[in-house]
Amino acid sequence: MIVAAWICLLSPLAAALLITLLGNGISRRGAGYLATLAVLVSFVAACVAFFALWGDAPHDRSHYSTVWTWLQSGSFSAGLRVLVDPLSTMMMLVVSGVGSLIVAYSVGYMDGEDEERRYFAYMALFVFSMLLLVQSGNLLLLLAGWGLVGLSSYLLIGFWQERPSAIAAAKKAFVMNAFGDATMALAFFLLIQHTRSLSFETVFARAPGLASNHWLVNLVALGLLGGAVAKSAQLPLQTWLPDAMEGPTPVSALIHAATMVTAGVYLIVRTHVLFELAPKVEDLAAGLGAATLLLAGLIALVQTDIKRVIAYSTMSQIGYMFLGAGLGAYANGMFHLMTHAFFKALLFMAAGLVIHALAGEQDIRKMGGLRGLMPRTYRAFLVGALALVGLPPFAGFFSKDSILAAAMHDGWYGYLLWSAGLVGTFLTGLYTFRMLFVVFGGEPSAFVREHLIRPRRHGHVHHGEGPFSMTSTVAILAVLSLVGGWIQFAPLWTPVTRWLDVVAPTLHHAEATSWQEGISSGLAFALGLAGLVTAWLVYSRRRLAVPRLPFAQRMLERKLYFDEAYDLVFYRPAVGAARFFGRIVEPFAVGGSITGLARGTRDVARGVSEAQTGLLRNYALAMAGGLAVLVVVFISVR
Amino acid sequence: MTLGILGPEVSWYLAVAAFLFATGALGVLLRRSPLIVLLSLEIMLNGANLALIAFARHQGNGAGQIFALAVMAVAASEVVVGLGLIVAISRRNLDLDVDKLRTLRG
Repeated sequence: MIVAAWICLLSPLAAALLITLLGNGISRRGAGYLATLAVLVSFVAACVAFFALWGDAPHDRSHYSTVWTWLQSGSFSAGLRVLVDPLSTMMMLVVSGVGSLIVAYSVGYMDGEDEERRYFAYMALFVFSMLLLVQSGNLLLLLAGWGLVGLSSYLLIGFWQERPSAIAAAKKAFVMNAFGDATMALAFFLLIQHTRSLSFETVFARAPGLASNHWLVNLVALGLLGGAVAKSAQLPLQTWLPDAMEGPTPVSALIHAATMVTAGVYLIVRTHVLFELAPKVEDLAAGLGAATLLLAGLIALVQTDIKRVIAYSTMSQIGYMFLGAGLGAYANGMFHLMTHAFFKALLFMAAGLVIHALAGEQDIRKMGGLRGLMPRTYRAFLVGALALVGLPPFAGFFSKDSILAAAMHDGWYGYLLWSAGLVGTFLTGLYTFRMLFVVFGGEPSAFVREHLIRPRRHGHVHHGEGPFSMTSTVAILAVLSLVGGWIQFAPLWTPVTRWLDVVAPTLHHAEATSWQEGISSGLAFALGLAGLVTAWLVYSRRRLAVPRLPFAQRMLERKLYFDEAYDLVFYRPAVGAARFFGRIVEPFAVGGSITGLARGTRDVARGVSEAQTGLLRNYALAMAGGLAVLVVVFISVR
Repeated sequence: MTLGILGPEVSWYLAVAAFLFATGALGVLLRRSPLIVLLSLEIMLNGANLALIAFARHQGNGAGQIFALAVMAVAASEVVVGLGLIVAISRRNLDLDVDKLRTLRG
């Protein structure tokens, strides 16, 4: 089992190194196959680890393996250490499983792209980083994986490095993530100071002893929450995620489905012991999740870029996971993470098929009527959309509703979060099906006709709706989005909750009763359906007009002015201060002091050199004078 | 006074030595011809030698005399170098004037 875990971790790294080192020695397609194979090997290894763990007794399902002590300082030591337990195997399965499908999909999507090898090396590195993050057996290694995920996302978002917007988006993602990394690192320093350790079992064993120090536990939880919020693109660090759509579509799928944004949820679940010591921070996490899911749902209503709509839906769904994890319904959050990985990857990859067919166009206003032209893509997208909205029997229904049900147990705050989640469901139905009807419904638009109908008439045969590697992976994900939710149907059938129970038991106040599950499911289903029907009336049947609210629309199109606000609050003062120091302080204090020193030395030297006249008699006089002075001194001193 | 001095007191010798030294020093300071400067230098050295020898007699041991011999040797070699320089300068048709030889100016 341990060997399988190491293979799972190192196989993508090996692929990344191999592709990098071989350079031109490997064909472009070969690099794609190699990366796919490596991630697939990871998946198989993860399955082996999973089934091995399955065979263990439930209370004996945590296995650590250390191969090398990295740091040793007094009683503190941290090593290259992996942990195999129910939570990490679940993440390993999701990351490597969905990851391998996405990498395989990229083989078709990136075909003919320049620098495919670099792309696949980055993809393999990304999967490795995420696996390191979820498999690490101590917080230090987790932070290393955390940083590597940020690095690989930076590399992949900026993959088309000739586009200034891609570079800007990559930098934005990196800076926002670095902020989270920093708060996390600060929390870890506090933990080292007070628990003398960063390994999971020691920290979690000693942490309850710190509970009396409210400041400390709150600060630690806040630091961890800062990291989670930055990585998972929740309020108030959410602005990087929509911009990250500048990367290739499979990268978006990878960031949104398998890696990266789910890391925040994983972190909260993994360190739930620390969060439970700080209930206020937990409530804050749940509140941030609820606020994000509403905000993202609203913004998604007016976006016109197909990938951005899906990106906002990710933010919104991660909001649900934060809501669940913040409430203490860890298993429900993780379950939603898993189903979300399926249908979000599906949506992105189906959107990728559309974008691929339309020569890179992403504006939904130019699309339309694709239903008849790309019927299988339409069906896949429909499955993804239904799963996203959470209509039975699709995956989202089972996972999202149990999160909502968990909120009902938590007093008035819980009801607030619960209603936010329900409104979010309506918004999800609305924006998802707005996108679906605009892209696939109606008559083919002029743009679509130009790209899809005319080439056919002229004898350019389109091979189905995309290369086999793309269509087959989309098909697999479509099946998973349908059946993936069936593994748990709370409260009747809860294997995921039981599986995670040893690592992160659901808090008592987040355990929903049957009637709460029933009410939540019913209402969420009704509201999701209402959103769907509204979208159908507005965008397909055109019975209802879009309400004219120019102010609100502008607000949402500008993403509620978050970018502008950050620009005003952080960027401008920083630039202004830099300019002030550059113009006023630097010439005098920093550079000035150095050049002043040099100039002073030179002036003194010039003055002194005046004494050296070259006149022999001056020197002789100086010597005679000196002698006379010495004589006088000697005589008088004696 | 074991060795005893025939003639005047040691202070007279010192007076002559000081006179010689001052004359030489004035010559070094005031004259512009390197030849005369060198000459004046020799006078200064001889003044110093006279003082050394006078003290040696006064003290009654030979150390001062040996020191004077060493000074003479140094003076001789110094004159060789100095005269050589002067010859070299005049060979190049440069002015024999210490005020004009000021290439070492800082």
